[in-house]
Amino acid sequence: MSIAIRRRVQLVVLLGPVSLFLAVFFLGPLAIMMVTSFLAPGLYGGVEWTFYPHNFGRILGFADPMFEDFDPVYIAIFLRSVKIAALTVLAALLVCYPAAFCIARLSERWKNFCLFLITLPFFTSLIVRLFVWVLILRQTGLVNEMLLSTGMIARPLDLIYTDGAIILGMVYVFIPFMFMPVYASVEKLDWTLVRASLDLGAGPIRTFWRIILPLTAPGIVGGAIIVFIPALGNFVVPAILGGAKVMMLGNLIEQQFLAARNWPFGSALAMMVMSVMLVLLLVYVFASGRRGADAALNR
Amino acid sequence: MKIAQSLFRGSLVAYTGLFFAFIYIPLVVIAVYSFNSNPVNMMTWTGFTTEWYAQVLGFKTTVSENALYIESTGQLLQAVWNSLVIATSTTLIATVFGTAIAIGLYRFDFLGQRFYRVIMFMPMLMPDIVLGIALLIFFVNSGIHLGLTTIIIGQCTFLISYVFIVVSARLAGMDRTLENASADLGADEWTTFRRVVLPQLLPGIVGGALLAFIISMDDLVITYFIAGVDVTTLPMFIFAMLRRGIKPEINAIAVMMLTFSFVVASLGLYLRSRQK
Repeated sequence: MSIAIRRRVQLVVLLGPVSLFLAVFFLGPLAIMMVTSFLAPGLYGGVEWTFYPHNFGRILGFADPMFEDFDPVYIAIFLRSVKIAALTVLAALLVCYPAAFCIARLSERWKNFCLFLITLPFFTSLIVRLFVWVLILRQTGLVNEMLLSTGMIARPLDLIYTDGAIILGMVYVFIPFMFMPVYASVEKLDWTLVRASLDLGAGPIRTFWRIILPLTAPGIVGGAIIVFIPALGNFVVPAILGGAKVMMLGNLIEQQFLAARNWPFGSALAMMVMSVMLVLLLVYVFASGRRGADAALNR
Repeated sequence: MKIAQSLFRGSLVAYTGLFFAFIYIPLVVIAVYSFNSNPVNMMTWTGFTTEWYAQVLGFKTTVSENALYIESTGQLLQAVWNSLVIATSTTLIATVFGTAIAIGLYRFDFLGQRFYRVIMFMPMLMPDIVLGIALLIFFVNSGIHLGLTTIIIGQCTFLISYVFIVVSARLAGMDRTLENASADLGADEWTTFRRVVLPQLLPGIVGGALLAFIISMDDLVITYFIAGVDVTTLPMFIFAMLRRGIKPEINAIAVMMLTFSFVVASLGLYLRSRQK
């Protein structure tokens, strides 16, 4: 057997089965979901095989005139999810950025220990980490009990089932996602440039805006994207900390699939989430240039 | 200037202290209050007890019936068992597949390499819920009964990526001259792979498998959509408990899970740090 043929056989043996698996169970389902989002919902669940753009119309403003008037509630939920995800990114950045500077200047030993402490929660159950916040924030939770017993408040505060609770829960869960990319670029920061800027008469604030922030921007943008995407479509955090009051895209999608049984509409909502993700990634790729994207992919 | 600088440095250190407090104090709080004997108001301390743990583990206790959530420990154990079965199967499949792709892309140059890399990064960037519903539509349309099998298949689709990334990182740091030396010294390709490549790769494969196992045990969203009605996993069980109302046993379960994953993760990270 010639070497070329042998190598070809090896390649097929290595990649054949897994390619088949991913084609059938990963790309296949995504394609079917895409198709479903353009089909009409059946009367009793299920789908009808006709082209029906009004699933997206219900969200974007051209609802099926046969059945309903346009209801802006879905676009409102969409915008609200974007707002909560954006605030989560901002809050996570505020939490992680200063700490990254402190940890980057520690000795090797302490640095590794701190990084270990930050990654450790990532390996523990997500649902347990969220449950902890229910115990802290709810009406009879730790914060309210403490404030009541000291007499600072007369009635329990509404802490849980608010936008703030959702943002807090998501920040808590996504800290490692934001910290790691931010830390990576903070650690690489060339401090001689900072010193040069200060020596040449720029104040600390100006040095921060003109030198430190631009140099650490890649990490900030990377962390922002990694946090924003799962936050936007999240359904566990709002389900636990948002109660029934705060509806986000994730809960709406879940509802369409498990309660309302309108799969085409649910698929259309999921496609909206996907398209936001794709737009963000394209922006990132173009902003960081082709070389940056290649480097990321060939990591 | 000097004073301002040290003041700034001090506040940065204090901030970092708060940062770690934010991460860990909630976990300490739940661990402490899991020993609270108050059955109604879980955050008002009335005394020390290990009853909730005994209850979860199936021992006879003096706790009154209406303070309890779990009808039988059997349900909980069944959920734990399901999670273990799923995690073991998915880890095996995902490790083999993920390693195969990593080696395939590392050793061969072919058209479509970039395509594979993009596919491998997709599941990490896609919100879980999208993959969850896509799989649900697919399984229902193709008439496959929802249950353990669909959960295992569904989880593998994204776990392969995690294994791929860990193993690829290891491959990238590998010394290729050793392979050439082995070939020069007369070993055939298979022997070289088995005796030279595989031992070097092993920490990466083990690391990837460990990561896949932990993520599989913890996956809620995708499993939730494709589990059907008969099968419950541990995260699903706790999610259902949380939605129905909180009773002290969840505390005990949560603390046991935290302890377990802390021990496993510390062990994994410790082993990795020793290898370097």
